[in-house]
Amino acid sequence: MILLFLENFKISLSAVFANKTRSILTALGIIIGISSVTLMGTLISGLDRSFESSMSWLGKDILYVSRYEWFSDMDWWEVRNRPKMLPEYVEKIKERSSYAMAVAPVMQRGASLSHEDKETRTEIFGTNEEYMATISTDIANGRFFTRNEDRSGSRVVVIGDGISEAFFGDQDPIGKYIKIDKMKFRVIGVLEKQGKFLGLFSVDKQAILPFGAYKRIFSRRGWMRLSVKVPPEKLEEGLDEITSVMRHIRGLRPNEKNDFAINQTKAFEAQYNTLKIAIGGTGVFITLLSLIVGGIGIMNIMFVSVKERTREIGVRKAIGATSGMIMGQFLMEAVTICLFAGSIGIFLAYVISFFINMFFPSTLPFGLSIAAMLMSMMVGIISGLIPSYRAAKLDPIESLRYE
Amino acid sequence: MALISLKKIYKIYNVGGEEVRALDGIDLDIQENEYLAIMGPSGSGKSTLMNMIGCLDTPTSGLYEFEGEMVQVMDDSQLASIRNRKIGFVFQTFNLLPKATAQHNVEIPLVYANIRKSQRIEMASKALESVGLSDRSHHRPNELSGGQRQRVAIARALVNDPSIILADEPTGNLDSKSGHEIMNILDELHKRGNTIILVTHEDEVAQHAHRVIRLFDGKITEDVELKSS
Repeated sequence: MILLFLENFKISLSAVFANKTRSILTALGIIIGISSVTLMGTLISGLDRSFESSMSWLGKDILYVSRYEWFSDMDWWEVRNRPKMLPEYVEKIKERSSYAMAVAPVMQRGASLSHEDKETRTEIFGTNEEYMATISTDIANGRFFTRNEDRSGSRVVVIGDGISEAFFGDQDPIGKYIKIDKMKFRVIGVLEKQGKFLGLFSVDKQAILPFGAYKRIFSRRGWMRLSVKVPPEKLEEGLDEITSVMRHIRGLRPNEKNDFAINQTKAFEAQYNTLKIAIGGTGVFITLLSLIVGGIGIMNIMFVSVKERTREIGVRKAIGATSGMIMGQFLMEAVTICLFAGSIGIFLAYVISFFINMFFPSTLPFGLSIAAMLMSMMVGIISGLIPSYRAAKLDPIESLRYE
Repeated sequence: MALISLKKIYKIYNVGGEEVRALDGIDLDIQENEYLAIMGPSGSGKSTLMNMIGCLDTPTSGLYEFEGEMVQVMDDSQLASIRNRKIGFVFQTFNLLPKATAQHNVEIPLVYANIRKSQRIEMASKALESVGLSDRSHHRPNELSGGQRQRVAIARALVNDPSIILADEPTGNLDSKSGHEIMNILDELHKRGNTIILVTHEDEVAQHAHRVIRLFDGKITEDVELKSS
């Protein structure tokens, strides 16, 4: 049986290579199908990984209280008409909430950072000393600012790893001064290296100032949000409680709608899953379509191959091949074409994902290439079945007479 | 017991509503190591009879016993096995695989007989040697002359050591010199103990055989011993 298998494999190789152009053209559909399915898989697995790490940076147990809802289609004027978040909410929430473990106001704007002759534009954040509890990043070097520093408006700053690297290189930045929009700040801490958020922007390029100094120097007005940390196992209760606390602060009547929004990373997840389904669905659709078209192509060429070799089939039967052996020979040929096409497809996907990886995290999962190979094999078997069966059932006498 | 025994064999085709009796009640026994020529005009049924004997075709009715076994009740794989191990076909048009070398062509029956590669090479070389083509084993059919191709075909028919060689107009596509060579090889095989069954038009070719039967309209009209075998 193995002997015959090897022999059939040799026959198919020679048949495939004898008609190179034809084989490649035939295989094109499968090549496109397999490379698109592997690419989609690659992209999705890349997305998954970067989403996971980005989400862990946001924190699942944090409630983000602000004027606007994430991914909502609310009209902008409605959002604009909502009352602003105020710094005094921090104390009020702490007073009334039993679940809030940490409450941090966060204001944010773009600013220019410089040290000696180096300059960069980045996002600066103004917040209080509880901020560290609401992010998953740790301080790698130095310390965070204290409540007193916040209250007194001290000009101290905690910088991201990227900024530290850019400004100070190997030197210790602690105690050194940087300028934020021309104001001098003393560096007291450096955050751990984080990487990019959703592959879009680097969170390592940030600077965090005490709320007091931020408000005084950069902005009295502007948008503010509150980050509220609740116990991870009490997420629902926390959400309900903070909602009612906020309604109380705002003095809303029971029949009035919320004039604020409480966001969770869940919103990201929902949005992300929609995106993932969209990409995956498109991928599956394209793949199925091209695999079907490719499979029909293979079937067609197999019919041609059987027709061309009718006489050979007759001879083989006359010298002792059973119908099953003939069927095996032609099935093997279809599978061989498809496996070739599959390998080329995977190779293409690998090359393309290598280039995509320069802009967006993407890696070809090993399991996916195996699955893609199995898939091409399946296409080969399915599309080879009818032509091979026809070959097997050919009448040897008529086949021998066939010109 | 006869090697091949045909009793009241009929092969009836239905062509356009009309009944065509390709074989019309054939009774024929062939003993081991016979040298038989089947003659007759075209359409007389000699090719059908040949295919029947070679287990490529099955009769509409009648009894065919091969080495005492009823052929009609055999399934596809049993028939294939008989064709593979007991019968060697030699065709008028050689029917070699064009892309395979002489050596590989001769090896194919051995592949279907599930014989190991090393043994296959040895057996195929021996068969090629017996038809005097050792030096041509790595040539493809299109690099060989007609006579040489037919000799490769004979080597292929022999390689599995089948007892019966079925040759359908083996010299039909050859010049007379190559034809002679081929007939000499068949004579030689007969002397070595093989059973030879020839289908031919030519009296000269039939003269090599020891027994000649003539077919006409699917019936045996003449059955003569030429020389005792």
